[in-house]
Amino acid sequence: MTLVVLALALWAGGFALNVALANGPARGTAAARLAVPVVFGATVLAMWECLVRGLGVPPVILPPPSQIAQTFGANLGLLWRDFVQTILKGALGGYIIGCGAAFLTALLVDRYRYLREGLLPLGNFMAALPIVGTAPILVMWFGFGWQSKAAVVVLMVFFPMLVNTVAGLQDTTAMQRDLVRTYAASWGQTLIKLRLPAAMPFIFNGLKISTTLALVGAIVAEFFGSPTLGLGFRISTSIGQLDLGMVWSAIVVAALAGSVFFGLVTVIEKRLTFWHASQRGGR
Amino acid sequence: MADAAVPLTARRWRVPPVLAMILAIMTLWYAAAVPMNVKEVLTQAERAGVAVSPPSAAERRDMGHLVLVAQNPGALGASWSLDRARLPAPHQVLVELYDSTIDEELNGRRGIVRSGSLSNRSLIYHGWVTLNATFVGFLIGAGLGIALAIGIVHSRVMDMSVMPWAIVSQTIPIVALAPMIIVVLYSVGVQGLIPKAVISAYLSFFPVVVGMVKGLRSPDAMQMDLMRTYNAGAPTVLWKLRLPASVPYLFASLKIAIAASLVGAIVGELPVQQGGLGARMLAGSYYGQTAQIWAALFMAAGLAAVLVWAIGWLERRTLRRIGMSA
Amino acid sequence: MKRMFWAAAALAGLSAPAFAQDAVTLQLKWVTQSQFAGYYVAQENGYYDEEGLDVTILPGGPDIAPTQVIAGGGADVVVEWMPAALAARENGLPLVNIAQPFKSSGMMLTCWGDVGIEGPESLANRTLGVWFFGNEYPFLSWMSQLGIETDGADENGVEVLKQGFNVDPLLQRQADCISTMTYNEYWQVIDSGVSPDELITFKYEDQGVATLEDGLYVLEDNLDDPAFADKMERFVRASMKGWKWAEENPEDAAMIVLDNDETGAQTEEHQIRMMGEVAKLTAGSNGALDPADYERTVQTLLAGGSDPVISKAPEGAWTHAITDAALN
Repeated sequence: MTLVVLALALWAGGFALNVALANGPARGTAAARLAVPVVFGATVLAMWECLVRGLGVPPVILPPPSQIAQTFGANLGLLWRDFVQTILKGALGGYIIGCGAAFLTALLVDRYRYLREGLLPLGNFMAALPIVGTAPILVMWFGFGWQSKAAVVVLMVFFPMLVNTVAGLQDTTAMQRDLVRTYAASWGQTLIKLRLPAAMPFIFNGLKISTTLALVGAIVAEFFGSPTLGLGFRISTSIGQLDLGMVWSAIVVAALAGSVFFGLVTVIEKRLTFWHASQRGGR
Repeated sequence: MADAAVPLTARRWRVPPVLAMILAIMTLWYAAAVPMNVKEVLTQAERAGVAVSPPSAAERRDMGHLVLVAQNPGALGASWSLDRARLPAPHQVLVELYDSTIDEELNGRRGIVRSGSLSNRSLIYHGWVTLNATFVGFLIGAGLGIALAIGIVHSRVMDMSVMPWAIVSQTIPIVALAPMIIVVLYSVGVQGLIPKAVISAYLSFFPVVVGMVKGLRSPDAMQMDLMRTYNAGAPTVLWKLRLPASVPYLFASLKIAIAASLVGAIVGELPVQQGGLGARMLAGSYYGQTAQIWAALFMAAGLAAVLVWAIGWLERRTLRRIGMSA
Repeated sequence: MKRMFWAAAALAGLSAPAFAQDAVTLQLKWVTQSQFAGYYVAQENGYYDEEGLDVTILPGGPDIAPTQVIAGGGADVVVEWMPAALAARENGLPLVNIAQPFKSSGMMLTCWGDVGIEGPESLANRTLGVWFFGNEYPFLSWMSQLGIETDGADENGVEVLKQGFNVDPLLQRQADCISTMTYNEYWQVIDSGVSPDELITFKYEDQGVATLEDGLYVLEDNLDDPAFADKMERFVRASMKGWKWAEENPEDAAMIVLDNDETGAQTEEHQIRMMGEVAKLTAGSNGALDPADYERTVQTLLAGGSDPVISKAPEGAWTHAITDAALN
């Protein structure tokens, strides 16, 4: 019971701290912007620990964060190998292939209006195919290795990336298009000097959406057949072995990897599209 | 760079693009089915006594598909009618779709004609089970998303603390969490529809949060100043300005949310295994009935398209009524 | 007038237990199929009703660990294989075996006959498919006893694939061998057109590494409650009655299973055949666990070499109390 009261007290304390950080004199600084979500996260973790121990929740249902941290620390090598298999080989491989293919298709679609009217509705349909159905089929076609996971990722990221790139290539004003026409620019020159730079914000939007999709795709694909390695494999078999600490450790690795990946793409975006309104601090 | 629209009526001989694409894909599909299925076809031919090159399956294992097709042009008759095809032909999928929907209901032992209730072997029943969870999850997720968005817009603390974690929550693979959510809910006695709806809500709340936050912040400075000259408090501003301004953004994100909700319902059915398109897809993959998987897949995609279209219809009507139609 | 009212109320109160049934939730190990026919038969033929039980049968699936469900209180009794239950017991979940309907093991390793596998000793340097989720324990024990490592294909190791509960890895030749059950996957391979003499099969029973399979398990603490123990006795009695009826009427039992199949994906032919094979595994058991079988299972699991499934012999992992009361 004391632990439950402690949990509530921690929540109140964390909330008060965040209110002070967000509305006090330090608001608006980069440090405060980083500190507030960190404090929120830390409060949630502390509450989780107290509530799970205080209410006597069985550890095979929901383990406390301390046990998860212990399992994580004890299995770093294993988790690293899983990370390489799933993220670096499966997710990243599929991401590069999928986004690259989507980009090239977008260029084609932009050039030929006929293709655009035909492919986009079909792409819509393809994107609606649930991964739970496509993953077993792709494992059947590409085998148990990382190739089938990359294939699932390609299927998931292709359409969002295509839609965003096509929208971006269209996002030029009439005046800009007329200007390059007065310069007698060919389609290729217009593409490189006008449309691609204008499309950059949209392309990065697509790339950011695709990072999370790639991660989820690679992990889900492993549920349907894998060698004895990989984050998805680790999660599904650890549930069967009732090793919940390992399950959550693998989930932490996946969430970390996804956030880092997303952050990397955001940093590159800031460098390349510094001129866009959204990067200049507009709300 | 002809950006001017060429009216289709001026060139009647031109095939409509979507139709042309579908025909092209069908042709490619039939063509691809031959090399995809070649190993199974050759194994069956070998068992039936036809001369196949190379003659044993173990030797064929590591050879390329196209090479095998080139070496055995005469033995490929069964490529489009295999029972356990790696790539079922389009007509096989369509036949399976028909068999599991109309035929099963009209003629099946447990179909609606003979037994008065939907057959548990038909995709209509499974689609209905999935739709139930989708709707409930969608309502929960959309409601939660709107509430969270209102909180984020009005409270700096929530804005700075909750948004980053909402983003991180989407990086956690839901397929991993789904069994645990289900077990936790079983332990408090909640079974059946609600666990699946919770998973749907988990996937659908995030697009709604993002869209609504953008929408609630979309009124420009002049409009906000006007409300201030009326001495309007935050609730009034919310009700009379922010919410109406956010309706277009809301509908855009509802379309994404309902598709995500369908995916969540399907994922939730994997552990629960009590009917639904997800259970059906998994069952098809157990027994190697690839045509079943494809049929359920198309049904799910078709459902998603119908749901998104329905939201679009609702959007057009609503926008017209509140005077915001483009 | 008042007297009659109270008398009527008392009568209603006395008769209430006769109408109220005890609720029991059973979590199955896998999806609805003839492997669990006994329970569906008992429900359909009214054996549970006769014992005053209102039984809810929860089908399992690829992501459901019955041990986790019972730990969370989502079920009163689960069907589980002994290795997984003993491993869970060692991990802190006090499961107790109260009945053992399956006397023999149906687990096998099925290989292609034309890749040069003559016997278990030539399994090294191959790709083998194994289920996980609790079904990998007998396989790992066997590999350990053969001295074969499971971390990659080389002269004394094998590459292990996590099979996805279908037989495609064998048919598509992604694996040289896959794990099969005598009543399910083996027949799926045959159904796909492969003839039995193209295959070579190793039965775990013949290799001496068989472990006990489907048994009924409950939490130890619940057994201390006499009302719960009484409920379980009635449940076991009715379930074993269902199993014996299913053994004698395999086709009708299969139809009962089909009627309860929520996914609609099972076929009559497959279920009837499965029932016939399962009947061979339940034959010879009246529901009571044979301590000799238990010891053999424990020894197999302990002999796992460098990576045993359990590290010491469990105590109190089974009880005859329920079956003694139920069957006598």
